[in-house]
Amino acid sequence: MEVREARALEPAAWPMVFETLVELDESGKVRPALAVSWRHDASSKRWQFRLRPNVKFQDGSPLTAEAAAAALGGNGWLSTAAGGEVVVLCDALTRLADFADARRAVFLKGEDGTLTGTGPFRVTQWEARRAMLAAHEECWRGRPFLDGVAMEMGGTAPQRLADLELAKAELVEVGPGEVRRAEQFGAKIWTSSPVILMALKFEPGRPAGDNARLREALALSIDRAAILKVLLQKRGEAAGGLLPQWLSGYAGLFATARDVERARGLAAGAPALALAYDASDGLARMVAERIAVNAREAGIRLAAPSAAGNADVSLARARIAPAVAEQALEGLGAALRLPELLHPASPELEDLYADERAVLEDYWVIPLFHLPEIYGASPRLHAWATPGLLKTGEWRLEDLWLDAEQP
Amino acid sequence: MTFRTRLLISFALAVVGTAALATWVVSAMTRHAFEQADDRRSAALVAQFRREFERRRQELVRSVEAIAAAQGTLEMAIALSRPEPDYAPYVDQAGALATAHGLDLLELVAQDGTIVSSAQWPARFGYQAEWVKEAADGTEAFLKSEELPEETVLAMIAVRRANAGGNDLYVAGGYRLDRDFLGSLVLPAGMRVLLYHNFEPGFSAQALTDAAGPVKGAERLASLIEKVRSERREMSRRIEWPDGPETFQAIPLAGRNGELLGVLLVGSSRRELAALAARIRWAGALAAGFGILLGIGLSYWAAERLTGPVEELARGAREVAAGNWNARVSVASRDELGEMARAFNSMTQELIGQRDRLLQAERVAAWRELARRLAHELKNPLFPLQITIETLQRAKEQAPGEFDEIFRESAATLLAELANLKSIVGRFSDFAKMPAPQLEAVDLNEIVRGAVRLFAAQLRSGERAAIEAEVECDPELGAIQADPEQVTRALHNLILNAIDAMPEGGRLRLRTRRTEAGAQLEVSDSGLGLTKEECERLFTPYYTTKRHGTGLGLAIVQSVVADHRGKISVESEPGRGTTFRIELPAG
Repeated sequence: MEVREARALEPAAWPMVFETLVELDESGKVRPALAVSWRHDASSKRWQFRLRPNVKFQDGSPLTAEAAAAALGGNGWLSTAAGGEVVVLCDALTRLADFADARRAVFLKGEDGTLTGTGPFRVTQWEARRAMLAAHEECWRGRPFLDGVAMEMGGTAPQRLADLELAKAELVEVGPGEVRRAEQFGAKIWTSSPVILMALKFEPGRPAGDNARLREALALSIDRAAILKVLLQKRGEAAGGLLPQWLSGYAGLFATARDVERARGLAAGAPALALAYDASDGLARMVAERIAVNAREAGIRLAAPSAAGNADVSLARARIAPAVAEQALEGLGAALRLPELLHPASPELEDLYADERAVLEDYWVIPLFHLPEIYGASPRLHAWATPGLLKTGEWRLEDLWLDAEQP
Repeated sequence: MTFRTRLLISFALAVVGTAALATWVVSAMTRHAFEQADDRRSAALVAQFRREFERRRQELVRSVEAIAAAQGTLEMAIALSRPEPDYAPYVDQAGALATAHGLDLLELVAQDGTIVSSAQWPARFGYQAEWVKEAADGTEAFLKSEELPEETVLAMIAVRRANAGGNDLYVAGGYRLDRDFLGSLVLPAGMRVLLYHNFEPGFSAQALTDAAGPVKGAERLASLIEKVRSERREMSRRIEWPDGPETFQAIPLAGRNGELLGVLLVGSSRRELAALAARIRWAGALAAGFGILLGIGLSYWAAERLTGPVEELARGAREVAAGNWNARVSVASRDELGEMARAFNSMTQELIGQRDRLLQAERVAAWRELARRLAHELKNPLFPLQITIETLQRAKEQAPGEFDEIFRESAATLLAELANLKSIVGRFSDFAKMPAPQLEAVDLNEIVRGAVRLFAAQLRSGERAAIEAEVECDPELGAIQADPEQVTRALHNLILNAIDAMPEGGRLRLRTRRTEAGAQLEVSDSGLGLTKEECERLFTPYYTTKRHGTGLGLAIVQSVVADHRGKISVESEPGRGTTFRIELPAG
């Protein structure tokens, strides 16, 4: 796997191949991974990690402080090996959780640009929409039960569900609308915590989108409850804020109620809005159409953009990661191209709430729903120590095993 | 224009008129028959369309009834009848059912009017559709304006209830009345269906479509559509397209509550009939043209057959007019023209006989007149001769002494009378010996002036009252070819006649004038004038109205004029003078 290919790897699958010095558990707490202990100076800019012994890369080479230092350097960090430990000099205050970021994974970079990690699986084949993983026999966590994993990206939700039903796949991502059908034929449903934000994002500089009253009117016109109940089959949460309740604890302070009368008053005489969404995403299409119906009721006309790039507002999905509120908020800010936060990297709830409130008050972004990752698993697929899907939406396939094939 | 030409034109006009009339009558009858046939065909096509439309209605009703009666629908109705029902499992149900039953539109509506699932607008779940409850009481499919995300369409809708233990689930299914629906109708050849669906006031060409899409030239149907919309009743109109006419039956489409939703136009092409009528018209025109040509040819032949004898008769008449009384026409037909020819030949035969008899009579009369005139002329000198000779005889016997004197006087008398006799004989001799004219360029004006000068003394002679001479010569007259001596002699005779006609004096007027043929000479007097009978006989030789005239003067004048191929005429009334007019050719 090359660097550019690694970037295209499904984020949920990344931890199966590449590991970090530390990792977050499902509650967001840091726990050791490749590093077993650590210390830092008073400014939290100089970190020193002692590596886990007897860890080997997937090519069989041992994990050394030099190799880890080579992988962690860059992006504002300087790292060296000293006394069998890895010393990292950061350009700013750095938290321990930052070392759990997948972007700070430890890997070997070969002369041909290929990347080799320490995770329970190694990439043996990589194509545009297909990847083959093989078990890392000498993984420090223990050899995975599965000998290999074949991953196929893309396809529509009904197609994936059909593959699951026909036993062409053992684990597929499903949408809320397919859950009932998957359960009907005996599939197990694995659901993460709400880790995806679905939101409307206005594009600055567009005449219609620059109308603050129209933005607020659109926000007030949307019937989140009906969408959540029918289209999302109650899988997820209505979102008034950016971070989900499980991550921030204050999401309920943001209003999600509908006020059509006020929306109608605000939208009087407003121009039509061009709404863009991912046409290949069936759920996004249905939500967008429902939003258009709600908007029409409030006197707002939503239409498809005449050309790519002409959208006044777009229906976007953004993954909420990692399971640390301030980092997740920063990640959403980057994904949604939000303004600079007032309190960057501050773990204080008041600061986070103030930042969200500031970002949302002009309605440039209208949070709609926090959605979970939902997977349908074959009845043949079993989990041993940990479930196949963490609350954070990450895959843990190393502890899965399959029933034997029926003759 | 000749009689034959006129006859030919008359025949040709008659033939053309008859052919044109026949063609027009045939064309009109054909057109009428075609229009009747087309009306019947259009009515049949419209009836067929109505049956097809009704069939689709029934098909829709059956489909909706089948959905309403399906086990899955009843189970859904039962599930939704529970408290706080969950619509989520059924949100896609309408789309699947619509696809399975071939419906464009399908909505599943809960008992309280809430849309559970919508095939045409999936995102409309949860909204109210109260109209469904009212429509479910009807049995027939009806038309409805259906709002969709991007447009408002016209639809044929049927609503049925799926009853589950007293709890209704309404099934509202339908077809979009659009180009696809129009294309799905099974229509006979030559027929098409157009749909006008526009809720805005005024005509919109974009709102008129057929199975192939927007209708080209839709503006031609604007007035019909507007009229149907305003009067809300069916109408029929024939529309002329560049490729032929088309009859449209416009049917207003009303909704369940009578509201006008659109106009359906059932078009029946008349192109084939029009082409057939055109072919018949062309064939008629060709036949008429051929008939006209044939008629003209036959007219020419008939005119020739008819006018040949007439022209023969005309030729004979012209010959007779030219003096050839022996002219004959050779028409052998036994019809009226043959009878006319035979009558003509008989007439000329009779005329010749009459002319001969007249000539004979005139000759006898002329001889008698000549004898009378000769007798009269000769009697006057003979009587003095007889008296003189008797005087000589008596003087010889009774007065010998005076005989010499008497002899001398008598001899003088005898010589004078003999000279007189000689003069008389000479005049007759001159008339008999009129020579042929020696033509040369002659100035007629100069001859007139010379004659006036010659007779000037005589006109003012003291023996009678003076005669005033008045000369009016045309300076533009020019020279004519004539014998000057004979013309002078003729003019002198006319002047002498005029002088004789004015014993009490008067006015003599001589006038020349240029004419198209040559020259005209007028000699007028203000004398006693002549009666009509005298005028008719005036140029007869030896006829005279004067006591001592020979009757040869005007005969000589006429002879001179005739020898010059001219004409002489006279106008006179008693008491109002006489005018002689001579026409002489220029060459």
